[in-house]
Amino acid sequence: MKKVININFQGRVIPIEESAYEILKRYIESLRQFFANEEGRDEITNDIESRIGELFGEQLKKGVPCITDADVESIIASIGRPEDFEADEAEYQGAKAKATAEQTFTPGGGSQGHTHVRTERFFRDENNKLIGGVCAGLANYFGIDKLVVRILFILFTLGFGFGVIAYLILWVAIPSTASEKIGAYRKRLFRNPENKLIGGVCAGLASYFGVHVWVPRILFIIPFLSFVTNWHHWGAFNFPNFINLSFSPGAVIIYIILWLILPEAVTTSDRLEMKGEKVDLNSIKNTIQKDMEGFGERAKVFGKEVGEVAAQVGSEIGQRGKQVGSEAAGVARKSGSTIGNAIGIIVKIFVYFILGVVTISIVGALFGVGIAATGLLPLKSYFIADGWQNALAWGTYIFFIWVPVIGLITWIIRKIARSKSNGSALRFAFIAMWILGWVCFIGLLASVSNDFSYHNSPNENAIGISNPGVQKLQVKYVKNDRYYFNSSFLHLEPFATLDEDTAFVRNIHLRLLKSDNDSFHVKMLKIAYGASKQQAQQRAENINFNVNQKDSTLLFDRGIPITKRDLFRNQSVYVTVYVPVGKKIIVNNGIGWANDVHLNFGGDMDDWYWRNDNEGYDWDDNVEYIMTNEGLKPAHNSDVNDEDNNDSLSKPEEPAQPAEPKAVDSSRYHYQPTNDTEENDAKKTEVSITPVRTIKKAVKITDITSALFERLSL
Amino acid sequence: MHSFDLSFKKNSCMDIQNTQSQMRKGVLEFCILSIIQQGEVYPSDIVDKMKGANLHILEGTLYPLLTRLKNAGYLTYRWVESNSGPPRKYFLMTEAGLQFYSKLQRTWKELADAVETLTSQDGKENLPDENTQQ
Repeated sequence: MKKVININFQGRVIPIEESAYEILKRYIESLRQFFANEEGRDEITNDIESRIGELFGEQLKKGVPCITDADVESIIASIGRPEDFEADEAEYQGAKAKATAEQTFTPGGGSQGHTHVRTERFFRDENNKLIGGVCAGLANYFGIDKLVVRILFILFTLGFGFGVIAYLILWVAIPSTASEKIGAYRKRLFRNPENKLIGGVCAGLASYFGVHVWVPRILFIIPFLSFVTNWHHWGAFNFPNFINLSFSPGAVIIYIILWLILPEAVTTSDRLEMKGEKVDLNSIKNTIQKDMEGFGERAKVFGKEVGEVAAQVGSEIGQRGKQVGSEAAGVARKSGSTIGNAIGIIVKIFVYFILGVVTISIVGALFGVGIAATGLLPLKSYFIADGWQNALAWGTYIFFIWVPVIGLITWIIRKIARSKSNGSALRFAFIAMWILGWVCFIGLLASVSNDFSYHNSPNENAIGISNPGVQKLQVKYVKNDRYYFNSSFLHLEPFATLDEDTAFVRNIHLRLLKSDNDSFHVKMLKIAYGASKQQAQQRAENINFNVNQKDSTLLFDRGIPITKRDLFRNQSVYVTVYVPVGKKIIVNNGIGWANDVHLNFGGDMDDWYWRNDNEGYDWDDNVEYIMTNEGLKPAHNSDVNDEDNNDSLSKPEEPAQPAEPKAVDSSRYHYQPTNDTEENDAKKTEVSITPVRTIKKAVKITDITSALFERLSL
Repeated sequence: MHSFDLSFKKNSCMDIQNTQSQMRKGVLEFCILSIIQQGEVYPSDIVDKMKGANLHILEGTLYPLLTRLKNAGYLTYRWVESNSGPPRKYFLMTEAGLQFYSKLQRTWKELADAVETLTSQDGKENLPDENTQQ
């Protein structure tokens, strides 16, 4: 039993079975799609329709009560399905595509039927390819020499390493010219909305490669997990390792980029293309039937949405097309003569080159910021408290730093590929994410600066030294007795060393003062900051910084250990050495000049009087001084003059021995009895003078970033 | 911006079917023009006539071809009342179409002669050629 309906078809009233009508409708729709690029598409489909109507009429004249499925099928067979006459068409369209400035139909569907766009879509060039034809395709697209594109690509790759990923993505995502011209059977990469977990990227990849959806998912998840658990291994230590990058956070970046550039398989033919099934009426029908089972009522809503999106995209593309069209016309008019043509090409190359350089440098700079931030990640847990602050830090890292990077890269790829999908939603999403990033960033700043609100009350403690009666005291850092990981790539200058769970900060200030009796005294003041006075106090007490005397040497710890529990809150140590009159002191290089790391949030930091103290005497590294009643004076006669003459005067005295190594082996300095002779002392002075004075300056946290940039630029 | 690409083919490599259809396609336009040149026709008559000459063409291929020729100015059409249903579109040749056709005809003659000469030579010279090579 079948339902028969009457249709008005090309001026005839045709009684037709409902199922036959469905077949007919789908067939005509497929014809419409097939001829969508044709100039006289309406006329062609109209002619075919009227021919079908005529054949219906003949059939009915034979006395059959209505048109059946079989009738429709036989008529379709005699006229032919799109796939039957595809070969001619593909060839014709291929030729047409070659003719430049050809106008084709937009995908805006019927609603935008008369919007014409100059479409030279971005294809990989199969004929001129070197690897995948991506560069050649880009060159075709922009109408410039492919050599230029290749060189730019190589520069891009060498500069940022990102060229490889971009190339691979474009290789996969962009169809090749071969598939277009020959009309070859091809699959296309789509996002699969049916099976999606996040964005349908994995599902689409699975459909494309014909594997189970969990295969790409696991491939994406494994590196991501290792990225999360081992983040500190790639941040500072193995950073230049490109593979490491691409396989860990790279997986996430690739996922996001694929998510953005891959179209979602919306229409039935998209879905068929995604799976690589041959698109013919039967398979379309099958899929539609499957859809109907699955979606049922939602189909209407779905269709409406699709229509809206299509209309929106259509109008947007239409506008863009008009713009491009007028530009193209302008260029065409200008380049009427051959000379004009040549000039046009040169100008074009020049403009694209400039644009390319500008874009690449913007992306590069952003990428650099991102990488710098990544490089700072290992230090994160010394600055950032767990909980909210940590979340804000990650939010800042992802949304404030990386989102604009990815956004810009995506934007460029979309520009190049002339992506069809809805750009405004994407833009909105990016802006929203970036705003979130700003919120995180400001929140983080507020939260961290709050932790720097108070410092502890300064309380100077005397340090007992074992032999305060020495004639001469040498101040130096304790020898590095442990293996500290010092990445050659990421050397954070102010942080002396970075241990497994401890960072060492050399916020060590040294003052030399006159002792009021005949023995050396050492006093130490520990300063730390916190959100409250008590917190600061606690943190200051936790500073474990040791000053020990060994023979005539005063040994300072390498730095103030900052643990992840205590966090870095401007911990610093002020050591005062009181030198008795008539006794000598020499300070090895680097000590007390405070390779100073401190964060200044505009609190009371600058008022801290120790920072600008005038009490201590000036001194230079590796110069022996003697304390007199008038103050600290260089022990050697030649050093009496002002310090600027120091170097020039001391140089001739320099012995033939090699320059003093920085980390002096303490065994070279044997115990010297207190009644050490002047002669011996003088000799020692000669030894300990190094010809080069190291230039020191206070290093602020901002300098870390600039130091990083310097390294990155290498 | 590209329309739905419904043209799929599993392989693009040379096979006999492909070559045959390529050869046929080349002369399709010429054959159609020669039929229309004889007097105005209805498209399905063209299909029948060609079928009679053992040259198969689908109406789905014919209509776009006619439209293109018409848009190029080589053909025109006339509505002819039909005794059953709406009027039908009959195609006839224009002056430009006639010129176009005569050019095609000349090309075809040259081509046919060339092919004839070559293929007959081919038959004669192929065997001794192979023998000498061996």
